[in-house]
Order: sequence, then structure tokens, then C-alpha cells
Amino acid sequence: MRRLAFLLAGLALIVAGCGKSSGGDSTRRLVIAVDVPVTGSPYVAQTIKQGVELAAQNLNGSGGIRVGSRGYQLTVKLYDNHLSARRAVEDTRRALDAGAVAVVTDGTGVDATWQLARRDDVAVDIAYDGGTGLVDATARPNVFRIAPTNRGIAFRLAEYLIPRKLKVALLSDDSAYGRQGAADIGRAFSGNPEAVALKLTVPAGETDLSPQILRVRRSGATALVVWGQPPAIAAVLSAARSIGWNVPVYAPPTGADPFVRQQLADHPSWVDGLTFASGRMTAEIGTAPFLNFQSQYESTYGVDRVGVKNSAGQPLFQPPEFAMYSYDFVHVLVAAITRADSVEPGKVLAALNEVTTQGANGDERGFNEHSHEGVVDDDVYFARFKDMIFSPVADDALSSTLPPIPQTARG
Amino acid sequence: MSLRYSLGLAAAAAGLAAPASTAASIQQVLLPGPTPYPTQSPPLAVGGAPPPAALSFAVHARAAERVRAGVGPGGELVSLRVLHRLVLTGKGDYLIVVGAPVEDVRAGAGSDSQPGLRTGQILWSGFSSGSKVLAADAELRVREARELLPLRLRAIREGSRYSLTVTNATTIAEIAYGGEGLPQQLAELLDRTRRESLAGERLSPAYASVKGFVRARKDAPRIAAPLRVEGTLHFPSAPGSARGGTVHGKTVSFSAVLGDASPLSLRVDVSGGGGAPRLRVVARPTRLVRALTPPRAASWAVAVRRRAIPADLLLRRLIDARMQLVRSDQYQAFLSNPDPQGANRTVYVYETATAAPTAAPAPNTGSGGGNELVLTLAILGSVLVAGAALVLWAHS
Repeated sequence: MRRLAFLLAGLALIVAGCGKSSGGDSTRRLVIAVDVPVTGSPYVAQTIKQGVELAAQNLNGSGGIRVGSRGYQLTVKLYDNHLSARRAVEDTRRALDAGAVAVVTDGTGVDATWQLARRDDVAVDIAYDGGTGLVDATARPNVFRIAPTNRGIAFRLAEYLIPRKLKVALLSDDSAYGRQGAADIGRAFSGNPEAVALKLTVPAGETDLSPQILRVRRSGATALVVWGQPPAIAAVLSAARSIGWNVPVYAPPTGADPFVRQQLADHPSWVDGLTFASGRMTAEIGTAPFLNFQSQYESTYGVDRVGVKNSAGQPLFQPPEFAMYSYDFVHVLVAAITRADSVEPGKVLAALNEVTTQGANGDERGFNEHSHEGVVDDDVYFARFKDMIFSPVADDALSSTLPPIPQTARG
Repeated sequence: MSLRYSLGLAAAAAGLAAPASTAASIQQVLLPGPTPYPTQSPPLAVGGAPPPAALSFAVHARAAERVRAGVGPGGELVSLRVLHRLVLTGKGDYLIVVGAPVEDVRAGAGSDSQPGLRTGQILWSGFSSGSKVLAADAELRVREARELLPLRLRAIREGSRYSLTVTNATTIAEIAYGGEGLPQQLAELLDRTRRESLAGERLSPAYASVKGFVRARKDAPRIAAPLRVEGTLHFPSAPGSARGGTVHGKTVSFSAVLGDASPLSLRVDVSGGGGAPRLRVVARPTRLVRALTPPRAASWAVAVRRRAIPADLLLRRLIDARMQLVRSDQYQAFLSNPDPQGANRTVYVYETATAAPTAAPAPNTGSGGGNELVLTLAILGSVLVAGAALVLWAHS
């Protein structure tokens, strides 16, 4: 009889051990990993990281997350991928070992890292790179993105430019970003070959693109679309303007990167007229939500200085556009955890397809079974620089509804 | 729902009547239409937690739907698809949630955007720059939607004889009120209702004057949406004869309005044909014609002037007709239109299904669902094996 009692007790212990441990974690912390190019693209890295941290700080400050009878606090762990896919893989391994419930990244190395994260049902959020193919709700069910897509940017650029009867030169640099963008912009213009004067790849690191710009000018181009990293956009502007060619230049979101203005700080007029496409920062309900977010962001981290001044001598700062996207993802993630009523990654991953939250700018953010894109293509707007400050254009249906965002330092 | 709606209507009427009865002998009572609908669905209800759906006041939507029901040899429903086309006009943001027991959805032909899918929801989100077409081709779960289709089909084949019965399935019993109205006013309201019906317009709100107390009618009228039905049965060989239809070569065609003071079902009997036919039945919610035709006059106003028609009969005719038109309007939207004022048109097409019945989908439990089941079975299996071993050992 004693043997029977021992065995029953042993059996009960074995059965109890089969379940996933729900206790023992006295800190009750949920880790969100941020894997960004701290050394490589510091502005992008900083803004994404600060967006995640601000969301975590807000949520923790309001009591954290309640799942069942337990409370959780969010912890942010930062990794530097150096713009290297190999480093991103290492970072992802370390993040998974640290028990991360999600990885927020600029997009570096996602082609390699998503499968690692998938094994643990961990969500990967891309907060910057709009590359087509990075996100596929069917093939990569754990990859999400809150950032404008290259496809949407390219489509909107074509939609905006083709009716203007311009002969467009499609320039791209030879970085991965440039190559991906070249494919998307090529597809967007493929139905209107008569609108394309030339397609040309330029070297990403080259500061003098005079020969290439001369060739472009001889092609009869009356507008340039430059899909590349900020240095390439600055180099194209520099080469064109220095020969007195005031051709209109259009760019993807990298056109708004402070680096472009820093490079051309000695010739501010060369930036005038540069038009870029990006996700709109304010929603239809008005500027208040975004300005609230911006105010919070700046009171926590200070303004993101562009490093140049306008003609009135006022220092300029960059609105926290991409910080907004990573901030929003954390809120969608927490909504999914709440809906799943669980921190189990598989359940959280499934719930990410079922929730919508209001983003920092008042737009709805969410994913679904067919789309893991948190910024819809319709939300791509156009802004144009004048005196180093960008404002929404007036000749596009969406952009004309958007107010300008203040960019001069206050106080 | 129907009872609640009807009681609400009666209560509203009584509420209007009660204070008035003390002050005057004539009450203004609200007639049925354009809303509320007598039942919650159609349109199909939202599943899951609805997100904060929003359609800017500057954006309007009209909907055109084609419901494609696949039926088996006996007329039973085996598959269901809806082509749901929303045409947005106006400039502004939209977030649209269309509730339905949706299994899968993709963009329909001509769509300017891609639909999203959540449990029980089709999603649209974006910006309309003036006009936009949102077309969804959705596969629905039969079990959850079949009761809301407007027709029931029943086919029987015995030897060389084939019979098909098509029944209007929109009938519900409603509680209506009665009273003594003013004949000339009721006649004018009947004429107005008739004009709106013949023009295919949604009813406009209307009040009737009733003398004395308003009372609930003892008979609960059975109300059905009038449906125009057209169908064909295509046989392997030419049938010998057909009753209720017309033979054209290998095809028997038939048409009828089910409702609108006409029978609510039709039956087609066919002899010969050499086997089971391929069936196609098209149904459209339609206007009322017969139920609102004035007796031997060009209008109800003229008819009432020519000869006395009891006021309670006129009120009864008016209320019943308006209830039928409300029901017809309800079936114009099988899936919902985000714009409550937007126009809706739905065509229901029943066709012989070529594919096997759609399997009921497994509930979405996330990627861990399968693993949990395996784990649970493994634990149970282990416990049973261990228990059996234990018993054997304990008795050794």
C-alpha cells in the first residue's frame, strides 16, 4: 500500500511537471528586444528605440499589463545590429534567450531572423524598412510592420507623377534599400513606360555624381526619383544644383533624413523643392494626438535636432515619425496580450491578428490574417522642403488635408 | 426580436396615444419604415470584438452584393460566397468592419484596395480621395449563414419525374396595431407608399392619425419580403413536359414573385429530362405592386372618394404593406453597409454546386492549438499507461 501511495505521488508530480511553468518569475517582466543599427544609422536606431521605451514607460507607469491575476512590467533590451544581417541573427538569438516576447527592428536581417523567432512564436516588428517581401502574412506569420511600405511609396509616387506628364529618371543607389526600391518603383511605373526617361543605379558611397547627373540630364528627364540612402539623395541634389539644373527631385522617406540637410547646409536653397513621400504623421482627426505624442517624446528625450538652421537662424528639429511607429507597435502588442489573456508567445502571435488600437497620431493601428502592415498605402503623403522645413504638398488629395508639423525649436 | 420590435412599435404608438387621448381624440402614430428592421439579421452581424469602425461624415457608401449559394441535389445549401462591392464617394478616412461568418476573403474584381480578415470580420482601412471601390469576394461558413438566406429550395427526383419547390423564407410574425384612421389621409399615405415602392426607394418616415385608442391587432400578421424569382433547370435531355415552368429544348424556365399578395412558394414539376438538372435560381428583393394596387381606381385617394372603404382596413393594408417593404429593404443588404443612409442592392443566386460541401472551419486557436491537443493527448495517454502499469504492479 505504501508503494502505491509513493507511486501515486510520483505520478502526480510527473503530470504536474508536464505543464508550462507559470510561477517562479518573481519579477514578472516581459522583455521587448530592440535590434537597431546604433552604429550604422544612429538617427534611425535612436528614434525606434525611444519610441519603444516611451511606450513601455507609459504602460509601466499606468500599472503595467494585467494578465489574469498577474501584473507585468515591460523591459526593453537594446541590441546593435550594425546594419549587418549576421549581427542581427546573433542579436535575435540573444533576445530569444532573454525570453523576449517580441523583437522590434529597423528591418536589418529580417530575411534571416524571422525564422529563428518563428520557432519560438515570437513576433518581429519592422519599424523602418519598407522592403517588399519582408512582410508576408502567410509565409512569415510572425513578421509585422508599422512603417510605410516601399510598394505603397512607389505606387503613390507613380500616381502623383504620371498625370503631370513628366519624363522621370528613376535613380537608385546600390545599397539593399536602393535595390529594393528600384524594383518597386520600376513596377509602379511599368504600366506607363512613356513616363520614364531613364533608369540608373548610382554608387551609394559616392559623393560626386556629376557624370551620372549629366547623363540623366541628356536623357531628357524633367524629374528625378531618387531611391536611396540619404547620402545618395544629397549627392544627387548637389550634382544637379551645382550645374544649375533645377529639376524637381522626389524621394522616399529617406529624403526627410536630417543627413540630407546636414550635407547641404552650405547651400540650403539646393534642398528647396525636394519632395519626399512618407507615412502621414497626423490623422484626419487633427494634429492634437501627434502633437501630444511629440510633446511627451521631447519632454522625455529632448528634441531630435536636425543640425541645421532655417534662414531666420532658428535651429530645426525632426518630428518623431519613426518613433511613433515603434511606439504604436508596443501598444498593439499589449492589446494582443490583453486579448489573449496570456503571455504565451503563440497565443500573443495569434491575437496580434485580431486587435486594433489607436495610434499615437490618432490613426487606427492593427493587423489581420491577410495583412501584417500597420500603415496602409493610402496613408502615404507627400511633403516638400522650403527653407529646410518640409510641409505637405497642396496638389495631392490626401496631403492637402494635412497640416504642417512645427519643426523650429521652441523656447 | 420580431416580437420585441413589434411591441416597441405598439408601445410607441400607445405612448403617443395615451397623453393625447386625454386631450384630444386623434393621435399621430408612427408607421413602420424605413427602420428598424424586424430582426437583427440580415445584414449579418459582426463577429468578435468590433474595432472602432469609422466612416467620416464626408464619405458615403453604396453597396451592391451578389450572394452565390451552391446547392446540392436535394436543394440543400452546401457553399456560400458573397461578392460585396462598396462604392465610396467623398474625401476622407475610412475604417470599415463588415461582420460575417467569413472563412476567407480576397479582393473582388475592380477593387482599389485589399480587404483584411479577422475572425468574423472583413476589414477595410484607408483614405478615399473622392471615390473608391472596395470589392470583397468572401467565402462564408454555411452553417452560420444559411438561415438568413431568403429562399429554401427542395428538389425531389423520383424515377423520371423531378420536382422543385422554391419557398420564400423571409416570413416572420409581427405584432401590429390597429385603430380607426382617417380614410382620406390613409389613402394618401397608401398612395405615397405605393409611389415609393414603385420607384424602388426606401420608405420615408410617415405618421397616421388615429381616432381614439390605438390597439394591438389580435392577428399577428405574417410578413414576408416580396421576392422576384427567376430560374432555369437545365436537363441532360429535353423533358417531356413541365408544370409551373416552360420547356425550351433541354431547359425549363420559371419565374414568379413570391409574396406581394401572391403565394410564398412555387413548384415546378418536370417529366423526363434524362437525369438531374443543373439548377439556377435568381432572387431579388423587390417592390410591392399587387398589395398596393388601388381597387378599380388610379389611386387610393380616388378609390376612397368613389366608394367608402373601412378605415381600419385601409390602416391594416398600409401597415402590412409598409412592414413588407421594410422586410424587403432589409434583404437588400445581406452584408452590412457602413453608411446607414447608403443604398443597397443584393441579388441572391442559387446554383447547383459542383464542389463538395465546405467543411466547417476549425476555430482559430493560434499556432499553439495543435500542439496543445497533442500535449493533452500525450499526457492522458501517459497517465492511462502509467495507471495500468501501476495496477498490474500493485497486484503483483
